[in-house]
Amino acid sequence: MPIKTLEVIRKRLEDRPAELNKLRENGQKVVGWTGYNVPEEIIHALGFIPIRIAIGGDDRLVEVGGRYASSKNCVFIREIVGAFSENEDPYIQQTDILAFDATCLQNFRAAEVIEYYFKKDVIVLGVPRNFYWEEGKEYFGKEADEFTRLLEERAGVSLDLTKLGESVALYNDIRKTLKSIYSFQAAKDNVISWVEVFDLIQAGDLLDKKEYLALLHQTLAELQALQHNPVIEVDGNDARIFISGSLIPRGDRKLINIITSVGGRIVGDDIWTGILPHLDLDIKEISPAGVALAYLNRTPHAALPYLDLESDRRLKKLHELLAEFKAQGVIYHTLRYCDPFTFKAKETKDVLAKSAIPVLEIHTEYAGSDYEALRTRLEAFVEMIKIKAESAAEVTV
Amino acid sequence: MATTDLYEYPQELREEFEATEAIQFRDGSQATGADIWHYMTEVAPKKYPYAYTQRKYVDGRMSRDIHLPSAIKHNYLLLTMNDRINKSRENGSPVIFVQGGQSVDPYYAAGGIALRPASVGMWSRGRQEGLGLNEEVVRRHKQKEKAYHAISFEACQTAGYETIQEGGLPVDMVAPFTCLRCSDISYGVEAHRHGPNKAVKLMNIDYPMRHQADKQWAVEYFVQNLRRLTSEIGKIAGREVTDDDLSKEIKLHNEGRRLAIDIAELWWSADVPPTNGLDRRHILQMGGMEIHGDPSASLTILRESKTYIKERVKNGIKAEGVVDKPVRLFICGSCVRPNDFRIEEAGAIIVGNDNHWSDICTLVKEEGDPYRNLAHAILSYPYEQSVELRAAWTIEQLQKSRADGVLFLYQWGCNTQSAVARMLCDTIKRDTGIPTIIIEQHEGGSEQSEQLLNRINAFIEMI
Repeated sequence: MPIKTLEVIRKRLEDRPAELNKLRENGQKVVGWTGYNVPEEIIHALGFIPIRIAIGGDDRLVEVGGRYASSKNCVFIREIVGAFSENEDPYIQQTDILAFDATCLQNFRAAEVIEYYFKKDVIVLGVPRNFYWEEGKEYFGKEADEFTRLLEERAGVSLDLTKLGESVALYNDIRKTLKSIYSFQAAKDNVISWVEVFDLIQAGDLLDKKEYLALLHQTLAELQALQHNPVIEVDGNDARIFISGSLIPRGDRKLINIITSVGGRIVGDDIWTGILPHLDLDIKEISPAGVALAYLNRTPHAALPYLDLESDRRLKKLHELLAEFKAQGVIYHTLRYCDPFTFKAKETKDVLAKSAIPVLEIHTEYAGSDYEALRTRLEAFVEMIKIKAESAAEVTV
Repeated sequence: MATTDLYEYPQELREEFEATEAIQFRDGSQATGADIWHYMTEVAPKKYPYAYTQRKYVDGRMSRDIHLPSAIKHNYLLLTMNDRINKSRENGSPVIFVQGGQSVDPYYAAGGIALRPASVGMWSRGRQEGLGLNEEVVRRHKQKEKAYHAISFEACQTAGYETIQEGGLPVDMVAPFTCLRCSDISYGVEAHRHGPNKAVKLMNIDYPMRHQADKQWAVEYFVQNLRRLTSEIGKIAGREVTDDDLSKEIKLHNEGRRLAIDIAELWWSADVPPTNGLDRRHILQMGGMEIHGDPSASLTILRESKTYIKERVKNGIKAEGVVDKPVRLFICGSCVRPNDFRIEEAGAIIVGNDNHWSDICTLVKEEGDPYRNLAHAILSYPYEQSVELRAAWTIEQLQKSRADGVLFLYQWGCNTQSAVARMLCDTIKRDTGIPTIIIEQHEGGSEQSEQLLNRINAFIEMI
């Protein structure tokens, strides 16, 4: 049974560019942000409209972006640069200010390229590589203060901590509701798919936050009405797939489409355009530094190096999510030249092998030329998981 | 490999060379001209035949400017790397893997030896004796392949994983700066955590970005990184590191930096190039005080080289193998470079490069808090600034070196230098009209590809 609110959201997304245009005509400003530790609440509390710049899947834009950056940058970064060059994306057209962070060094370079060639007003938030040191956290807090100051200059107002508190409450509610919705997709006899939830999460990058929260509540209410007690458990017919690795932005559906087309059921992810950024964000202090530190204290992005394998929170979280969603296999997705994740591919495979979790690494880009090759590999992987699951079920019987 | 295939230093040079200055080492020992001559003519050809190849275009071929003592002494220090580093380690100096293009004052202040990838490679290479050129190249590539398997085939810089984790090289710590020069380095450091060598300590010296030298909190954060670094090295070396240790080291390294700057200005002021491009690069890089794993030794050669270059410039002596009015090329980009012999054969000469030179040019204030002074200097490296600032500094170097063209070269897989290439070149062209070219290098063999050199030669011809 379709979830009616999802259709409402699709419609609202269609209307959103025109709506943004109108809001800008009335004097509001749009801050386009990209990165992994940008404290969006600060942007929101200053009265800006935050829009996440996360687009992918267009090989032509990758080519265009590569002319300004280089062919050795990851396809995601190249596509963003290409999109600013063409200036045809309705959301990119609406950005007045850009906020980037330096979690990924390529993201930092993209900020420079866009500032240089397309004369955009860019603010960059420095991010410590030694993020787990107290000194690193202190540095990040100061960077957050500076980030806020630069935004305040552009907003023409000072940050009101009461408003920041309201924004934090709003975003906390969004995160909490998303988490509740997310568990429905992994349940037995699910009434909503992971793909639908994934789209729902990404809708939040673009919609008005208050409206988005209301739509999330509405979605959750519908789900609860349809399925009173969602139970996450393995069904003998499923090949429960977990997607890990490089982000999958709006517009990039190649891998997802192939997995589902060959009979895989995606039940979880730890990608940075999926559920992960919304988990474990605990804001303890209502201040720019307090909000920013909560971002930094989440499960770290792979671009931030952590030097002890045993206590790596990223891998710990991966294991937790695999167990929670009862995944049977991991697709480790790496984008071409995405160093944060490609450098860890072998290691992640070794770590998961110790837990007897099958892993398939898919290294790809936005071109369609590898579609059939990927399909063959994914089909074999899904089949293998199904056979394994069936064998396990027979043994149990 | 038959010895007849190997290059031999002419015996008639012996007396002249033996009279040159001794190399003074950090531990107080020295190598006289006679020691060096003996080693380079009797010992090294047997231990390391590949270094004496006669093949003209081999990358790493030794300079043939035999009247320039540094040309021989630099190679002496490279070929004795294994013996020297092992001896220093036995005497209690830990070895720390760093990256190129960064200053190494704090590592030495704490009693360590800082080696960049090229130097670690030389040390590793020195552990196997008797290899000819092809055998050596195969050995090196096999080793690198291990890192690609353990990390990623898209890795450019692997932070010595192949030698430290797979090759048993006894490096004590991997602790480079994480600046934009190399995007792979911090991931390379992280990769060590899954290698078999659990004894090696890991640390990233976190380099803040974006107007970093102007931000008091960024300088403070880098100070804290440097303090942690010296403390950790001190622990391995079994000593407490004082501010005074760092002050002394800064003074020593500043002397190297100043000498390199003086030599560069002399070199650039000459009507005709006083050395070939290879020797120019080797001498100036010694100003970074890290290539030989012994700052005192590098300093000895720098001091002597200044005298020689001064004399050559005064007498209008042109380096052998360089045409009368060569096209003067300046190299920008990451850690790669074209083959100097081929460039000179094509009628050009490399007169400078931004990589390495950026940190060598950055003098450290000697009065006051040494950590703060050092942090501020390091965060001011021109190479690590915004594109406009980096371009302004590069243009200054282009003008000083009277460069006719800029070649921006980056290694395959290098994300951050490749991304800045076009911006930098466009700014240089906009502000000076000097022609520029961007080339990606993907080298695997002992010689550079004809494809790469054809493109460079066409650029030289155009100029």
